[in-house]
Amino acid sequence: MLSITDLSVRYGPVQALSHVSLDVPRGEVTAVIGANGAGKSTLMRTLAGLVKPESGSASLDGNVLTGHRAEDVVRMGVALVPEGRSTVPELTVDENLRLGGLWRSKTERAATHAEVFDMFPVLGERRKMRADTLSGGERQQLAIGRALMCDPQCLLLDEPSLGLAPLIVTQILELVKRLAAEVNIAVLLVEQNAVTALRVAHTGVVLNLGQVVMSGTASDIASHEELRHAYLGY
Amino acid sequence: MRDLMRLPGARLVQHALLAFAVWAVMMWVNGSVDELTNYYIALIAMYATAMFGMVILVGLSGQVSLGNGALMAIGGYIFALTTLNWQTIPFTSIPMNGIWAMLFAAIGGVVFGLVIGLLGARLTGPYLAGLTLGIAVGIPAIANRFPGLFGGETGLQLTVPYPDGGYSTVAETSGEQFVTELPTSQDALPSTGASAGAGDLLTVDNFPSGDASAMASVAPGDLLTVDNFPSSEPSALASVAPGDLLTVDNFPSAGATPDPSGIDVGVVDTSTGTGTDGLDLGFVLERWEASLAIAVACIVGFIALNLVRGRQGRVWRAVRDDPVAAAVSGISPAGSKVTAFMVSSVFASLAGAVFVQILAYVGPGAFGLGLSLSLLVGIVLGGRSSLVGAIIGAVLLVWLPEFVLGLAGDRGWDEQVTNNAPNLIYGLLVVLVVLVAPGGIVGTLQALVGRIFSRSSRSG
Amino acid sequence: MTQLLDYVLGGIGSGAIIALMALALVLTWRATRVVNFAQVGQAMFTTFIALSIQTLTGNWFVALIGAIIAGAILGVIVQYLVLRPVKRMDTSGAIIATFGVLIALQAAAGMIWGGDSQAFPQPFGNTALTVFGREWPLSAYDLVVIGFAAVMVVALTLLFTRTSLGLAMRATAFNPEVARLSGVRVGRTLTIGWALAGVVGGVAGVLVAPTSAISPNSFDILLVFAFTAAVIGGLDSLIGAVALGIGTGLVLSVVSGYSDSSNAPVAALVLLALNLAIKPEGIFGHNKARSV
Repeated sequence: MLSITDLSVRYGPVQALSHVSLDVPRGEVTAVIGANGAGKSTLMRTLAGLVKPESGSASLDGNVLTGHRAEDVVRMGVALVPEGRSTVPELTVDENLRLGGLWRSKTERAATHAEVFDMFPVLGERRKMRADTLSGGERQQLAIGRALMCDPQCLLLDEPSLGLAPLIVTQILELVKRLAAEVNIAVLLVEQNAVTALRVAHTGVVLNLGQVVMSGTASDIASHEELRHAYLGY
Repeated sequence: MRDLMRLPGARLVQHALLAFAVWAVMMWVNGSVDELTNYYIALIAMYATAMFGMVILVGLSGQVSLGNGALMAIGGYIFALTTLNWQTIPFTSIPMNGIWAMLFAAIGGVVFGLVIGLLGARLTGPYLAGLTLGIAVGIPAIANRFPGLFGGETGLQLTVPYPDGGYSTVAETSGEQFVTELPTSQDALPSTGASAGAGDLLTVDNFPSGDASAMASVAPGDLLTVDNFPSSEPSALASVAPGDLLTVDNFPSAGATPDPSGIDVGVVDTSTGTGTDGLDLGFVLERWEASLAIAVACIVGFIALNLVRGRQGRVWRAVRDDPVAAAVSGISPAGSKVTAFMVSSVFASLAGAVFVQILAYVGPGAFGLGLSLSLLVGIVLGGRSSLVGAIIGAVLLVWLPEFVLGLAGDRGWDEQVTNNAPNLIYGLLVVLVVLVAPGGIVGTLQALVGRIFSRSSRSG
Repeated sequence: MTQLLDYVLGGIGSGAIIALMALALVLTWRATRVVNFAQVGQAMFTTFIALSIQTLTGNWFVALIGAIIAGAILGVIVQYLVLRPVKRMDTSGAIIATFGVLIALQAAAGMIWGGDSQAFPQPFGNTALTVFGREWPLSAYDLVVIGFAAVMVVALTLLFTRTSLGLAMRATAFNPEVARLSGVRVGRTLTIGWALAGVVGGVAGVLVAPTSAISPNSFDILLVFAFTAAVIGGLDSLIGAVALGIGTGLVLSVVSGYSDSSNAPVAALVLLALNLAIKPEGIFGHNKARSV
């Protein structure tokens, strides 16, 4: 389980996150929703070790993550798929996948590599092609595949739906949901598209101006009309 | 110039007064110090002139260029070639003189600045730095290619077109001092290629030797007066009226003809004693060189001040900080960068023209990569985007080698250490400044003052 | 015609040196997006160290190994002390810092070894080879130089394409954040890149020194040639650096042969200017050389 306790982040004079606490249980998808600038991406980047928190902590199964650098956080089992289909465009599909989890043993990596190709068959078909020749959906799959190569216990997905066709989004998110259940990992999903996110998530958290304004089951939040009007704008 | 017009007249007057005040103070200082200090002042003013251009190019416009040493070479060679080869301005009967030669140097600066600017203004950081590095190494090498025209590796001796009449003499002792002290300043930074020659740029032997017949009228040891002065036009003296800033006339121009009968330094060196006569009293070669350098620096500084604090300065900064935003606001980033190149190139050419007059020599060794690097060192240490920083940097460039030399004398360092110590210090300081205080001396002082003021306003 | 052939062949040796130095520039560029103008300074310093070892031991191979170690250490020091902290600042700062390092290294070398040119002993014969009853413009030493360059290029290519470290280095060069999120220790990878560049540059220095001589400033011109080759090759491309390095060597040899060796810098400058005016991203590269 990923536990976040009282996490605050400050960019100069801007309080990006203030006293955020939440738990992300294994086997489930937890969705963080909120408008632009609510602090969603900051939360993800802080958890991944890219941003230093001002105070508070996060831990995975009791191991404190905060204070470690990104390259160590991922070794501790937390993998982030950052916003914008982040792959290395100049490398091939295979190389992008090999990049994930270089510290693991060769046999372990080969096994995961095969699993990723099972999960995303299209990547297997395109393994020798450069990542920048892939379509948006394929690149998003590659980005998730790269994160999975790190053998994560907790997967952080930052806006995977950005710029993708609705059908592909649904496919990817369903896959993520299945992944969480089958491999029993904790998934934290950040989405601006609240409807889509709440459809696959078990639990929802609403972030506004860096603060948690509500958390509960996904269906509760989806049906909470005032909240929708106030923070989600629909 | 269009931008100058847009300035409120008040500011123009303010800048003019400032430049005039600096000129007046410097002239007073220049008049009351010894020859060696005159020489240092001349070098500082020359460096400052070139570095005003670097402030605009590197600091304001954000283009790291190493080409300005080569552009100084262009100014220097144009000055030397026009004074040496032209009796009159071609197609006219106007006699050549120092002012015309400097004007030609400036025009050359415009042309070369435009060429390099058009080539370089669209390039990003490392590409531009590399291209200008090539220019810094390549252009002086051209001088070697055409020894007939440019004098090759040994360069050209220059009969400096200083004023007729009023020549006093430089005491023998100061002449010696001149020779021994010079190499350390010359070798401020390693220069490519002819570095070996750089040390002996200005020894007695290679001072331009005049026509023997011109010397004949002056016996060694004779006091030079208007009467025995070879080839003078006494009337020229009348034009020397100190006080007017905008006419470079206060570096007197008459007698600028490359006529072999023009006085040469050799005469000055062979003569001893000081002038006692009213007319010749007070002419000291170094002092005159310094006056020239100060005048040019003040004029260039005045132009730079108006550009930096006017609309053009804001344009440069805008393009440096965010070229896309600037382009969206209707500024042409490439155009503004080319302008910066041209302005800095003109300044560099003028500085080069002054430099060759100080050296009485022009050659590739004096304008190597080392000169370009020292300009960069100077503005980085002084403060990349500040004109005052350029002056501080110029002072540092001239003072530090002397300081180290003094230290070395006290501590008994060997020559190898002494010669390289200034550059080691420059190199380390540059790295340190970039890491810790990117604003250089001026930027750091401004930050300190700002902090003190904000603190006092908070507590008060 | 045979004269042209001679000039071309004569350029291969110096071309290999330029290629190695260009390779060093490309390595640091790929690692940290900084053109290391101090590279020749590091190479010069390394070569002086090798010269000292050579004088001490009298063994060229020991000197070469010393240069490899010294080059790596110097690369690490420069990257760690200067470029790591400066990376956060603007590009101008990084460029200026590398020039600061260059000035300091040249001065330090002048302090330690003096400013005069010193001869570097010739490890192999430098007389023209005679094969097929004809004298060729290549010496045994030229062949050694070419051999070394080829070995280094092959080794580097294998490193980058076949090893995990190479993959990590490439990923770090293209997208450090993704590399970091994949668990690559980015800082260490960058430092290794600089160390490698130091080694390649140092070897280039040791190889060129016997044919010219060495002084604190003697490699300045090599920087111009290598930069020209690296930029025309695309700055990002190892193959480009090698191909254009050798190509630059050939062109300069032909230009020097038909006119005068003092034309070489100008020829390089013309090549560079033409390239930047026409195709600034280079032949093999996809860098953004132009800002507007």
